[in-house]
Amino acid sequence: MKVKILSWHAVAAWTWDAHDDACGICRMAFDGCCPDCKVPGDDCPLIWGACNHAFHLHCILKWVNSQSPRPHCPMCRREWQFQA
Amino acid sequence: MLDVSRVQKELVEVAGDKVSGVSIQLLGNSLSHLQGTIDGPSGTPYEGGVFTIDIQLPSSYPFEPPKMRFITKVWHPNISSQNGAICLDILKDQWSPALTLKTALLSLQALLSTPEPKDPQDAVVAEQYLKHNNTFIATARYWTEAFAKRSSIGLHEKIQKIVEMGFSEEAARAALQSSGGDENAALEKLCVG
Ligand SMILES: [Zn+2]
Ligand SMILES: [Zn+2]
Ligand SMILES: [Zn+2]
Repeated sequence: MKVKILSWHAVAAWTWDAHDDACGICRMAFDGCCPDCKVPGDDCPLIWGACNHAFHLHCILKWVNSQSPRPHCPMCRREWQFQA
Repeated sequence: MLDVSRVQKELVEVAGDKVSGVSIQLLGNSLSHLQGTIDGPSGTPYEGGVFTIDIQLPSSYPFEPPKMRFITKVWHPNISSQNGAICLDILKDQWSPALTLKTALLSLQALLSTPEPKDPQDAVVAEQYLKHNNTFIATARYWTEAFAKRSSIGLHEKIQKIVEMGFSEEAARAALQSSGGDENAALEKLCVG
């Protein structure tokens, strides 16, 4: 018998390396995406602050933009700076 | 656009919490207008009362704080005795999107326990709090009895109605009390007696 593979789906597990398991802004799990996105992963990345708190990039940008010029971290209220 | 999934999660979380003495109800189909309740903290003049809070969620919630206001009348330096407006920093410039409706309601409960008369919403109440604290406590307790007790919900309106018919407030209150809050029974009692 000869099996011909017509198509295949790659399945892999991945997880962001974050301390908490949910974004403190939208409350969605870090292995899910923010409310504005449909698919988790590279299109909806996580970002860390200098204070080591992580959020969806899209979520923290919304907060930072609404708080300029001196945004603070939603979790610890330290001045928000993106981790270098 | 209101973050609907986040608000839904928050509602589920509060509904599952039976120990904090706070609750949130939907008013209709909209998630942008809700109603919360907090139990008056024990050891305060608000003990035994249940206070209803009007909650409006701006479309930018949680990036902007929820708008909260006491519907139940309350006598407190940081809450307007006229319209229930609240002076609390986390509902204004100290808001953070990491806070939730539940933490906001818990903060209101904490505010009932620890008034900040130096930063008043109601100057009259604040002055009484600072200068005549015993009178303040008595008034706050009376308002809790009159407006925030489950059994007193609607009581104020009933008393007003009876007073409008020409009876004294004292007589109306006593008659309602002895007839278990039944307006008609109370009126009958007043007319007979
Ligand atoms: Zn998020
Ligand atoms: Zn996203
Ligand atoms: Zn932080």
